[in-house]
Amino acid sequence: MKAEKFVPYSEVSFATVPDKSTKFWRRFWLWQLYRFVVLNLKMMRIVVGGHS
Amino acid sequence: MAKVVVLGAGVSGHTAALTLKRKLEAKHEIIVVSPNSKYQWIPSNIWVGIGRMKSKEVTFELAPVYKKKHIQFHQAKAVSIHPEGDTSSDESFISIEYTSKEQSGQTEKISYDYLINATGPKLNFSATEGLSPEEGHCNSVCTFGHAEKTWENLQQVFKKMESGEKQTIVIGTGHAMATCQGAAFEYVLNIAFEIRKRKLESFCDLIWLTNEYEVGDFGMGGAFVKRNGYITSTTVFAESILAEYGIRWIKRAGVSKLDGKKIYFDNLEGESHEIAYDFSMLIPSFSGVGLKTYDKSGEDITNTVFAPNGFMKVDADYTAKPYEEWDAEDWPSIYQNPTYNNMYAAGIAFAPPHAISKPMKSKTGKMISPTPPRTGMPSGVIGKVVALNIADRITNQSKEHKHRASMAKMGAACVVSAGFGMGKGMAATMTVFPIVQNWKKYPRWGRDLGYTVGEAGLAGHWIKLLLHYLFLYKAKAKPFWWLIPE
Repeated sequence: MKAEKFVPYSEVSFATVPDKSTKFWRRFWLWQLYRFVVLNLKMMRIVVGGHS
Repeated sequence: MAKVVVLGAGVSGHTAALTLKRKLEAKHEIIVVSPNSKYQWIPSNIWVGIGRMKSKEVTFELAPVYKKKHIQFHQAKAVSIHPEGDTSSDESFISIEYTSKEQSGQTEKISYDYLINATGPKLNFSATEGLSPEEGHCNSVCTFGHAEKTWENLQQVFKKMESGEKQTIVIGTGHAMATCQGAAFEYVLNIAFEIRKRKLESFCDLIWLTNEYEVGDFGMGGAFVKRNGYITSTTVFAESILAEYGIRWIKRAGVSKLDGKKIYFDNLEGESHEIAYDFSMLIPSFSGVGLKTYDKSGEDITNTVFAPNGFMKVDADYTAKPYEEWDAEDWPSIYQNPTYNNMYAAGIAFAPPHAISKPMKSKTGKMISPTPPRTGMPSGVIGKVVALNIADRITNQSKEHKHRASMAKMGAACVVSAGFGMGKGMAATMTVFPIVQNWKKYPRWGRDLGYTVGEAGLAGHWIKLLLHYLFLYKAKAKPFWWLIPE
């Protein structure tokens, strides 16, 4: 599973992979705190709104 | 006075029992029958299987909670249902066999006015040769006991890698029609995280082996999510995570056998393949627990009450029809058995009308596609809705079911842990709304894109931790437990 060099036409070569910026935002706690609130609100909405 | 019997004390059964107790007057009797003495918060079994939590952190004894709430608890397995009674009585009853040490093997009859079947699935390891963890060729994280043993075995694999021995690890589905891909996906990502943390990537070939037509199907026909200015499929999302973590994938695979050295599988092309492996964790297929049902004369009517897969028939449309004609309205909303209106099936115990993913048949005629998943969130909601309707019937003599929860109208969240730690952990958070695509309401994408989300990040890990503590608090029926939504 060691990151090998890019092999054209291999299955994995068609997958999108995150760049440095995406990895940064995934770990940047302030942004993640915001996402934590947003995702929780969405989850709450789909749970409460999904049954009567 | 009414008597309600709940079979099973998992997410659905336990939620139903606590809700009934809260909604009904004390004179009514609530009885729970479960073969297990402990409640387990199944989503956290993954962390037991990777050594991040101990069993005691994901379980607790049921008896003290039920004693506190004045709910009768029998540690026993249900053997048969007699909805019309028998030749000596018209009273509906179930037969149970005790599983506790003190009463092991003893049998008893328990009468009921209302019955909730929340027995969950039977882990059908026997459907695949060599899959059972007892045989030692494969591991499981389906129960906390399995997960503990799996962690012991995985540590041996880590030790071999540390001594320079290359290992092949295969994680995924162990049957052509298995479901619960999310749990296995979570486990493969956690293993990748631990391997990377130990700097052992050079010594491991990590493989995701799945019966999905495309990675990211997850048994719900995949989903579309908005990401970075595009609407993309969860296939893109899932493949991206696998590629990032250095995991190879094999899709459209129906595993038929494991022998400790090789995993044998067929694919949709009709080809037979095998992979040599050192460690595996493959999810088995699910079926009903095998409850028998008898009418008043003692005739076996199991086929009337249950579907062929052993799950209980409810208010779904079971008419066989092609994928193109599937409809959101096929899915049940009150979970009442059509033959006996005082019987309900909640959580995984109800028979779905059909799959959610498109059924796929190989060139040799073998079905290779996931059956519908039913995670904790819908199971809890269904348990609550069934309990509310029964409480209503008892209290108000209501014939109408006011409370409804169709999987084609409710959402679900699947938080796939991909590493542990408040600062270093990560999880892929996926929410879908509704669970079953509703092409009439959402003709373009099948679901509401505002609430169908797929994203990876630290926030997901915090959510997973929050859900762990929140739902264990709720399940322990601590003060104001009922304020926590399903």
